[in-house]
Amino acid sequence: MKKLHLILILILILSSVFANAQENDDIRWYLNLPEISIYAERPIKEIGVQQTKMDSIVLKENIALSVADVLTFNSSIFVKNYGRATLSTVSFRGTSASHTQVSWNGMKINNPMLGMTDFSMIPSYFIDDATLLHGTSSVNETGGGLGGSIQLSTKPAKEDGFGLQYIQGVGSFKTFDEFLRLTYGNEHWQTSTRVVYSSSPNDFEYRNHDKKENVYDENMNIIDQYYPIERNRSGAFKDFHFLQEAYYNTMKGDRFGFNAWYINSNRELPMLTVDYGDDTYFENRQRENTLRSVMSWDHVRENWKMGAKAGYIHTKMNYDYKRDLGNGIMAHMTQSRSKINTFYGQAEGEYYIGKKWLFTVNVAVHQHFVESRDKSVMLQDGNEGTVGYHKARIELTNSASIKWRPVDRLGMSVVIREEMFGNEWTPIIPAFFIDGVISKKGDVVAKASVSRNYRFPSLNDLYFMPGGNPDLKKEIGWTYDAGFSFALGREGVYSLSGSANWFESFINDWIIWLPTTKGFFSPDNIKDVHAYGIEMKGDLEVILSKEWKLGLNGTLSWTPSINEGEPRSPADKSVGKQLPYVPEYSSTVTGRLSWKSWSFLYKWCYYSERFTMSSNDITLTGKLPEYFMSNIALEKIISCKWADFSIKGAINNLFNEEYLSVLSRPMPGINFEIFLGITPKFN
Amino acid sequence: MFFKSPSRRVAESPRRLVILVSWCLSVLVSLTSCMEWDYGLEENFDTSASGEGLFICNEGNFQYGNATLSYYNPETKEIQNEVFYRANAMKLGDVAQSMVIRDGIGWVVVNNSHVIFAIDINTFKEVGRITNLTSPRYIHFISDEKAYVTQIWDNRIFIVNPKRYEITGYIDIPNMTMESGSTEQMVQYGKYVYVNCWSYQNRILKIDSETDEVVDELIVGIQPTSLVMDCNNKLWTVTDGGYEGSPYGHEAPSLYRIDAETFTIEKQFKFKFGDAPSEVQLNGKKDKLYWINDDIWEMDVTAERVPVRPFLPYNETIYYGLTVCPRTGDVYVADAIDYVQQGMIYRYSKDRKLIDEFYVGIIPGAFCWK
Repeated sequence: MKKLHLILILILILSSVFANAQENDDIRWYLNLPEISIYAERPIKEIGVQQTKMDSIVLKENIALSVADVLTFNSSIFVKNYGRATLSTVSFRGTSASHTQVSWNGMKINNPMLGMTDFSMIPSYFIDDATLLHGTSSVNETGGGLGGSIQLSTKPAKEDGFGLQYIQGVGSFKTFDEFLRLTYGNEHWQTSTRVVYSSSPNDFEYRNHDKKENVYDENMNIIDQYYPIERNRSGAFKDFHFLQEAYYNTMKGDRFGFNAWYINSNRELPMLTVDYGDDTYFENRQRENTLRSVMSWDHVRENWKMGAKAGYIHTKMNYDYKRDLGNGIMAHMTQSRSKINTFYGQAEGEYYIGKKWLFTVNVAVHQHFVESRDKSVMLQDGNEGTVGYHKARIELTNSASIKWRPVDRLGMSVVIREEMFGNEWTPIIPAFFIDGVISKKGDVVAKASVSRNYRFPSLNDLYFMPGGNPDLKKEIGWTYDAGFSFALGREGVYSLSGSANWFESFINDWIIWLPTTKGFFSPDNIKDVHAYGIEMKGDLEVILSKEWKLGLNGTLSWTPSINEGEPRSPADKSVGKQLPYVPEYSSTVTGRLSWKSWSFLYKWCYYSERFTMSSNDITLTGKLPEYFMSNIALEKIISCKWADFSIKGAINNLFNEEYLSVLSRPMPGINFEIFLGITPKFN
Repeated sequence: MFFKSPSRRVAESPRRLVILVSWCLSVLVSLTSCMEWDYGLEENFDTSASGEGLFICNEGNFQYGNATLSYYNPETKEIQNEVFYRANAMKLGDVAQSMVIRDGIGWVVVNNSHVIFAIDINTFKEVGRITNLTSPRYIHFISDEKAYVTQIWDNRIFIVNPKRYEITGYIDIPNMTMESGSTEQMVQYGKYVYVNCWSYQNRILKIDSETDEVVDELIVGIQPTSLVMDCNNKLWTVTDGGYEGSPYGHEAPSLYRIDAETFTIEKQFKFKFGDAPSEVQLNGKKDKLYWINDDIWEMDVTAERVPVRPFLPYNETIYYGLTVCPRTGDVYVADAIDYVQQGMIYRYSKDRKLIDEFYVGIIPGAFCWK
């Protein structure tokens, strides 16, 4: 059945692409609309780069979604979702979440303690552009992205005076979403203020197949059992986000920018499906306050450019696990506190010699100050002690690149990068990229790249109490990419593009946290992993008539990620097996159909069965079956003289699937949300 | 063929749209669910004829709810895995910590599920459960209607009524905070129950089971991990010594022999700094002591020094669990391998010969003899 679906998906993507391409010959004669344009220009900065770009339209198709949800339905990367409004991590090509480097307006936002990024904390409403740099391509921007990197950014508001947008969303499980954006723009100044507030008890119902309720007689004999329909317990959340931006353009080649993003999040952590605790007795809560701010300056001339950025991140994370002692008093079982202060600076320069040469240099520094307190304990002398650590670490990354396009059809690029974490330097990180136009008809471009890369352990890996291992080595990766892309179409009629890439990565000294005989976990450089596979994507836009427009895009990934380390013991069955929780196949399809001011959106994604054991044994208890997820939305825009109104209905999990992303984490069934929006016309 | 007539163009668009929508709908239907879940299938077991049997509690991965229970027949060398799930068509839970048997009922303590399941030891069917515990570790029976349940992250031992599956009270532990609360294994001598306190603790408690109060305590080394009582009514505990950087201290671990009657330390056997001994166990006669310290060690309970050579040498893996057959003296050693695959149990005879090996569940940590 799995293979059947994969074949179906492949046929779907290809047939949609080619069938429509052929049919468009029939309709081309009457269409000459400006929305679709075909281009064949390849920016010299992107020689050989394998990337996925998501613009504002994709990111805001459902503004209530987090970037994690957007990536789930629009990219080939794997999103590990621990539940609704719960930790969501992303990983490329069979690597782990900490192998994905994430930046926001140039500043790295991976948590320096954990090494990864929680994408459920990034509302898509706050992101205007997202670029996924797969594998090798990430070396152009940063080091440590053994899987890849994700660049999130905002853009200046339009230069047309005042703007306002307010959207109210009301959805299932008493979910309320508020979105507000105020903008002002003129020739020189653009400002934007965005606010998002989301809240929900998040107590969706689901049939719990992991446990049964007992019915007893008076002698406490079980006389019946049934799978209970439970609510998601302890899942409430209140997330507030505020983003202030200001840009100034001198119109003489200098641009200044300021972005500040404040997050106040208060989330309960949902109970497992196998938890028999009474949720009124337990409180499991995470609170986060984060401020991220970046100032930027760009100086642009005809053939050269330089820029500088400075930023600051403050994160305060509180985790409390309490229980009622039976007298109404909630006593702390765990009370963990962490503070992170990060100072960031970056300078970069670009120099063009004609259209054939581009030289770039870049240096970025992040200075972290971390204070982690996991627990208070009563010491042997009766005093109170703290379990935790307090560390600072400077992270420096610098790079230089030469990009050369000797002829229109051929481009080559060399990137040299070096990184320093604390006082330890990586060896030179080299990357080489090449692309060439195989056929101008269809803009068929072949690409290839190769790079070495390193990832340093996170601060928790090194210093967490208990278990941190200061002797950890950095992880080492080698990645190769090769593939092709094409783009064709007809101006105002259709556009069709696609790509297929082969990749291969070798990661040595992969860091894994394992239990110890002392009752806690500790990391070690355990695994050598060989990840390889194919990533395909296709995109089609068609103007069917003056009023009808169709968009289809899809991705398909095959990502074996194989443990090639030494056996841990004579009984070890994990060598040569797929890593747990990494799907071998995944796919997405998005369809957009618009008619006049109506638009219909259909989103679909698929993950193949994930193993939960390194030996790839499938047991009754450890089963994570494949799943398909479908979301739809219908939107109507109503325009009047003084404002545009929008009404949108969205259905998530359309077919009410019972599914799991992670073992024992409940996921919601079908759910609904309605959005009402207003955009006044001040001009 | 191109249609250049405007009238044809208008007529053609709806047709094209109908085709398109039909196509999309057919694709939509084909892409919907086919997730496969196997629910509600209960297997019927009956192991009553087999006599001796060994239950293995496989912790599973913390927060993943994949703990399992395995059952091994030492006579036939047959292993049955996931017997709780297979018998009851539901999961055991998150972190199966320990199990004891009393009067044909097995009590499986599932730490992070806040539950203790009572199962028929022959059919593996659930007969009841005690819920809403803080973070249960071990259960010890005082009588048919009273048992103690130790906890981590709680400064109380819970008193339960196993017949009614109810929490009936608490024993408050002096000088222990909730956040660093830790009570572990229990043994009984007369009316007194002895408990080792492990995480960020250094004490053995003495509890009067009639008054349910802590009546005495004995300071040992840092973090005593386990507790047993031998044939001479001597308590044995081994400390892990804490860890580097711990605010509670870090020291060389020790094995302690404690006289239950006088509740005093008789003998301290010191290990090297950095060693991590654990899992103190006894044989059936309770005259030989076993533990893990990289290797597997065996020692007479009357010995005055730790043997020079181990019972079983380290075998390129970290041993995680240990038990000794009370009837034959066979030694069973659990290997958790990489902690995310089915662990392996090695069965050795008294004279160190490998008799059998079999895979169980993820992180086999505790054993219980039928």
